Order: sequence, then structure tokens, then C-alpha cells
Amino acid sequence: MHTRSSLFALILGLIAPFTAAGKVDLVMLPERDRVQLTIYNSADLTLVREERTLTLKKGINRLEFGWENTLIDPTSVQLRAPQHAGRVRLLEVAFPPKVKGSAIWTIESDVDGPIPVEISFFTSGISWRAFYMGTLSPDEQMMKLQGYVRIQNQSGEDYQNAETRVIVGKIHLLDEIAKLARREAPYGKPGYPEPRGRGLLTNASDELKRKAYSQMAVAEGAADLAAAAKSIVKEGLSEYFLYTIEGTESIPNGWGKRLPSFEADNVPVENLYRYEEERYGQVTRRLVYFMNDEEHDLGAEPLPDGKMKIFHALGQDAYLSYAGQVYTKYVPIKEEVELDLGIAPDVEAEPILMEEHSENYTFNNKGNITGLDRIQRWDIKLENNRSIPIRLEVWRNFPHAFWKLDNDPTNKGAYEKVDIDSVKYVLELQPNSTARLTYTLTLYEGDRQYKR
Amino acid sequence: MKRSTITLALIFIGMLCQSSLVYARIKLVALPERENTVVSLDHPTVTLVEEERTLTLQKGINQVDFSWKGVHVDPDSIRLAVLEHADNVKLINVNYPPNAQALVWDIYSPAAQQERVRISYLLANIDRVVSYETVVNNDETHLDLGSYLVLRNFSGESLTHASFRLDYGEAFEKSIRDGETKRMLFFEAPRLSIQKRFTFDAAIQPWDPSKLSTNVGIPVHYEIPNNTANSLGKHALWGGKVRLFQQDGHGSTIFLGEDNAMYTPMGQNMKLHVGNSRDLVVTQRKLQEKHTNVRRNKKNRVILYDSLEHMQVEIENFKDKNATITVLEPMSGEWKIIKTSHSYKRKNAKQIEFTIEVPAKDKITLIYHYVRENVRPS
Repeated sequence: MHTRSSLFALILGLIAPFTAAGKVDLVMLPERDRVQLTIYNSADLTLVREERTLTLKKGINRLEFGWENTLIDPTSVQLRAPQHAGRVRLLEVAFPPKVKGSAIWTIESDVDGPIPVEISFFTSGISWRAFYMGTLSPDEQMMKLQGYVRIQNQSGEDYQNAETRVIVGKIHLLDEIAKLARREAPYGKPGYPEPRGRGLLTNASDELKRKAYSQMAVAEGAADLAAAAKSIVKEGLSEYFLYTIEGTESIPNGWGKRLPSFEADNVPVENLYRYEEERYGQVTRRLVYFMNDEEHDLGAEPLPDGKMKIFHALGQDAYLSYAGQVYTKYVPIKEEVELDLGIAPDVEAEPILMEEHSENYTFNNKGNITGLDRIQRWDIKLENNRSIPIRLEVWRNFPHAFWKLDNDPTNKGAYEKVDIDSVKYVLELQPNSTARLTYTLTLYEGDRQYKR
Repeated sequence: MKRSTITLALIFIGMLCQSSLVYARIKLVALPERENTVVSLDHPTVTLVEEERTLTLQKGINQVDFSWKGVHVDPDSIRLAVLEHADNVKLINVNYPPNAQALVWDIYSPAAQQERVRISYLLANIDRVVSYETVVNNDETHLDLGSYLVLRNFSGESLTHASFRLDYGEAFEKSIRDGETKRMLFFEAPRLSIQKRFTFDAAIQPWDPSKLSTNVGIPVHYEIPNNTANSLGKHALWGGKVRLFQQDGHGSTIFLGEDNAMYTPMGQNMKLHVGNSRDLVVTQRKLQEKHTNVRRNKKNRVILYDSLEHMQVEIENFKDKNATITVLEPMSGEWKIIKTSHSYKRKNAKQIEFTIEVPAKDKITLIYHYVRENVRPS
């Protein structure tokens, strides 16, 4: 194992409790037999599990391990002997005074001889993220969707032939691993509570990200060659999805890796345009919809959140046009995916107030106005200036819960009351066509809110 | 002896200079060895140290110098107990010399004799914290609990072969140097039953996640009953950091998350927030608000009314396992439930709670209608 900064310069021997200098029988820790990385993306956290063979004697064994110049959280270090469950126990970990990056383990063993053990710990500095490329067919009815996983190693440690897994999901952490790695006393000191961010620590630090991404270009090109068509096995665990990358990966410090996660050639998509003034302003947004299910050539796994670059295939000669980049939320299996491609200048919706009057005034005993009905007639002009058929949603939100809406019988499409103060129209518009929605809205104001 | 340490010096002064003592503290005449040191960690924040020493007393008044330079001893907490001849060996006086972290005891003995004394004091910057590591099984029905006791000693004093006493269980012997931290395996409890719960709190979480550009996580927690049926319940569980792992079905584990467990008395549940689920989606809407029973004053102004309100909560479960979700709904004013699609529990005057079982890959629509009575227009 070539390690840039010696992660585990382990010394095996007998150490008298109060004489740090009395290290006898120095035995170098054997090589890692196997190493497994489980990388998280909602926090700067990687679970490292390595297998080594320790030669123990029956009774109490003492070992020293060091983690200086690494980003390891010393409080997370655990030792287990799965083949001798319950017969090899890590009784004590002592962090001696004035020694940084070193601890002494007390291991009780009922077994004599070489014992395969698992050592696990958290480190920071390794990150991963998902990203996508979507290519719309010329008629925009289909999309080719490619998902990728990008791993970046800035941990200060080279990982060779590591079984690599990534976790999709949002983890709840109390402390940043990078901070724990730098603490003077591993568990803090009494009376001086370590400043602790209540709530969620979700993202790797910006600095780390910048550092990671700055080296991306170099690493990406090199890594692509190595990542020839490896498959990724995906499975659900608790609230997470675990992606296990086939075989092993070597990721030297500072390097990254890009791996294809999935590819769906023919995802039927629905082109949806939406107008909602309160949410988007006076513009129509273009959205692409599809379901994360089998009918859409997907549905085997949730889609992790990430950036998606959308291209548009222009025709048979396969030239592309770039439509834009969107951030997609995490999408569970069988949920709808909504990609917001931004403002759509070629589809227009324009609500026009055509007429307004008031009636049904109420007065108090002094003769002052206490209530009225405001009656508004609205025309919404709709234009599809595209050469493909589209679906358009128009949302209308009202200032309060006291209103009545009368739709003109000529209105096309579906009308739905969404909640107490919003309604929605859904229409199909033919290529290069216009349409009109007309309705009369009665808003009950003041005392009139009590009169119905 | 180290630079910063507790020392005890015994000075025989006899009957000579009783009254006009000049406390020129003579250093280390005959330092009795510290015996039987007991460190009590049963108080959540304060550590009590009790140590026994054998004094060789002369007939008359003996002065015993106790100093704690560089050690975080609370001077007002220091006590001295005579163990063997409590009826005739008497502590007569306690003197504090100027500008020193020390005191001098005047101890009267009727004869030259050996006497065992116990010195007690509160020592700061030494404590214990508890941490837990758990491994949940694949189905999330059970977990293995491992508890660790972490001793942190930054008190200025090294303790050799001290006996550490907790508020339950056996005392144990340990040496710990000044500046040292030790993590010890405390207890292990395999295969404890747990329950997994999701929580939607309408007062905290957004009502319409589809309108947000990021996912809304539904908090997930496990409940571990601290009772004998669950092979626990012998003592309260201390609060501390809990790290949760889960078996991945391939001989390894994944890390699920961590939480700060609260102190859990016997018979209660330890609640551990694991993370947030994005496979449960909750959308809440108010579908109606109507003012009825309107009352007016002589000026014909509305002074009182009732508000009839309809609420709808849609819970979608995209997981391939059933989910039990607690839905918390804030209620305001003088409310009365008129109708609900599912049974509810009144938590307090301002909150109701529904517990809903949502089958895998399914959707449940929860509806509740209520009236807020005697609302005054603002």
C-alpha cells in the first residue's frame, strides 16, 4: 500500500500504561488485505473499512495507531473480528496527553495467532456527486438520459484497489468530520463544549469543493479511460440508496473519477409549459416531465439530486443544441420528474383584466362602507409559437379564501380548484396556435365575507 | 512527582506553637502515599474525588499541608474525614495560606498513632461522556447497541489505579494521566427491538414540496424502549452521541447518521433522529374557510364569528416498505374537530396528532374538518 501520509503506522507490542517510551516488540502492521470506501455526498464523510491480519496473543494486547496528517475522525475508529465475533474485543482506546494523532488500543483476545480484523473509521476529503446528460429527440417526445457518478479524492491518502460505494441520501450529522479530525482532544475537553452546529450539516465545505473541482479537468480525462463500462449495483437501505461500483478502483490523492451510472435511451417526455405570476413572474416556464418508472425506461432506482445538462438533437445528422442546465431534486422511484428548463419565450400567456366593477355594498349604522363584492372579468391570451403540440398549465392565485369563479362555457381544457386561494387550468395547444381562457371572478371583501 | 499535582505534607508541630503559628509551609516532610482513590462520576457535570491516606500522627496538634498547585480543585469543597479513631482524633482548624493553592489542617491526636483519613474534593475538568454505536439490521426491526464510556482528564492531576464509580453498575479501576482521554467499552446489548417512525410537522415543514427547488426531507427516527422486555431497563441510559450503522446484507455496513441521545429513564423510549426521508412526500392544503355564526354589535360591525375550515394532507410513500408517519397539526384558538378521516390524538391545546400507516408504493389522503369558534376580527 502506498500511502502519501502514513495512515496507520501501527506498532504492536506491550506498552506499560504510563511509559509511552516503553514500546517493545515493534511489529509493523501488516498490509491492508482489502479496503472498502463508502462515500457520502450530503456531508464531507467517507466510511473506510479495511481488513488486515493481526497476530494477537491470548489475553490483553496493546497496539499503537497513528493518524497524523490525515483527515480521520479518531473517535470513529473501531475494530472488529467478524470471524471471531465476541472473542476479540477493543476494550479501550487511550489518547495520551500531548501526543497528537496517536492512540493506544487495548485489545482483549480469546484467540492466539493471526486474526483477520476489520478496522473502520470516518475520513473527510472524499466526495462524490451525481450528474446527468439529457438529449431530447428532434420532436421532443423522447429523451436519452445518461446518469454519471463523479468521485473526487482530496483526503491526503491514496486509495488503491478500493471497493468503492457511494450513498445517495441526506445524512444527519452533529459534527463535521473534518473538524473532529483536527480537534486537539479527540472528544473535546470538559467544561468547554465544542461549538456545535445544531441542525444539519449537509454540504462539504466550499473550499474543499473548490479544491476538488479545480483538479477535475485533469483528473476527468485520465479517469475516463480507466472507467470502461463498469456496472454499478444499486440497492435501497433504510432511507438511502447504496451504489456499489463493480470491482475495485484506485483513486490517488487529488484525483477524480467519472463512472457511468445508468443510461436510458428512450424516455418518453411530456413538454409542459407553466404560467404562474406569483412564482415565476410574467413569463412562461418550460418544463419537461417524465416519471421515474418502467414505462419511461427508468424506475430501477431513485435519481440522486444533481445537475443535468439538457441537449436537443437537431436531426438525423446528430448535431446538438444546448438547451441549458438544470438542478434536479432527488426523485424517488415512481415519482414524477420535473425539469425546469427556464423561460420559454415562444409560449405566451397574458392575463388581461377586461372589466371590473363592484356591487352588494354593506354599510354600518353610521353609514360607512363595511363590505363589497369586486367583480372582475379576465381574459387570458395563450399563444403556442412552437411547431410542436404542447401542454400548458395556467395557475391563478387569489388574495384570500372568499371568492367565486365562473368559467366561460367556451373555455377549453381542465379547470381545478387546488386549494382555498388557487386554481389551475390545463390545456393542450396545437402547434402555432392561440387560445383564450375567460372567467369572471367575484371577490368578497370586508363584511361580504360573512354574508354567504 | 509531576509539576502540577496534589501533595500532602505532614508536619509535626506538637504542643509548642499552637497559637501564633506562622504558616511557613514546610515542603514534603513525609508524604503519605495516596491509597484507595475513588472518583465518583454519578453527577452529570461535577466530579467528586475521594482519596484515603494514612497519616502518622504525633501526640498533640499535627499540621497537614494539602496543596493542589495547577490542579483544578474547588477549595470550598475539600473535606477531611477521620476513619479509624473518629472519637478522639479531631480536626481542629483549617487554614488557608496566602497566595497558594493549599490549605493546612490542624489535627489533634491524643497519642502518637497511625490514622487513616479520607480527603474529598470536587475536581474540575475531569469528566465522563457516553457515546453509543449501534448496528441496525437490514429490516430495521432490531439493533445491536454498544455503549462507550469516555473519560476525559484535563484536571491537572494524573490518577493512578483509581476506582471510578458511576451511578449504576460496578466500579472499575483505571489509571488516567492529566491530558489523557480514554474510551472504554461500557456495555453491549445485542438485538434490541426498535421502531422506525416518520414525522411531518405542519407547523415546521413546507406544505407544498412540489413548489420548492430542493427536496423536503421527512425526519426519520428510531425508538428504542429502555425496558426489560427489550433486555434493557436496568438503569437509565445516559445521553450522548449515537452513531448508527446498518448491515448492508453483504457483510459490511453503511453509516446511517448520528444523533445526540437524551437521557432516557427506565421504561421510556430513547429517540434517535437518523436522517430525513425523501421517499415520503407530504402535501398539505387548506380546501375551505367559511365564516359562520356571525355576531354583530349595535353598529352592525362583526364582533364574533366561527370559522369552518377543511384541511387535506396527502402522504405519498415511494418506498417498497410500509411507513408509519406521525402527522402533527397546529391548531389555534377555540377549535373543535368536526370530522376526520383518521383517528387523532389531542397532544395539547394547540396541537393534534395523527398516526398513519402508509402502505408501500401507496398514497393516503388524510382529511380533517374543524371549526374555530369565537374568532374576533382583527
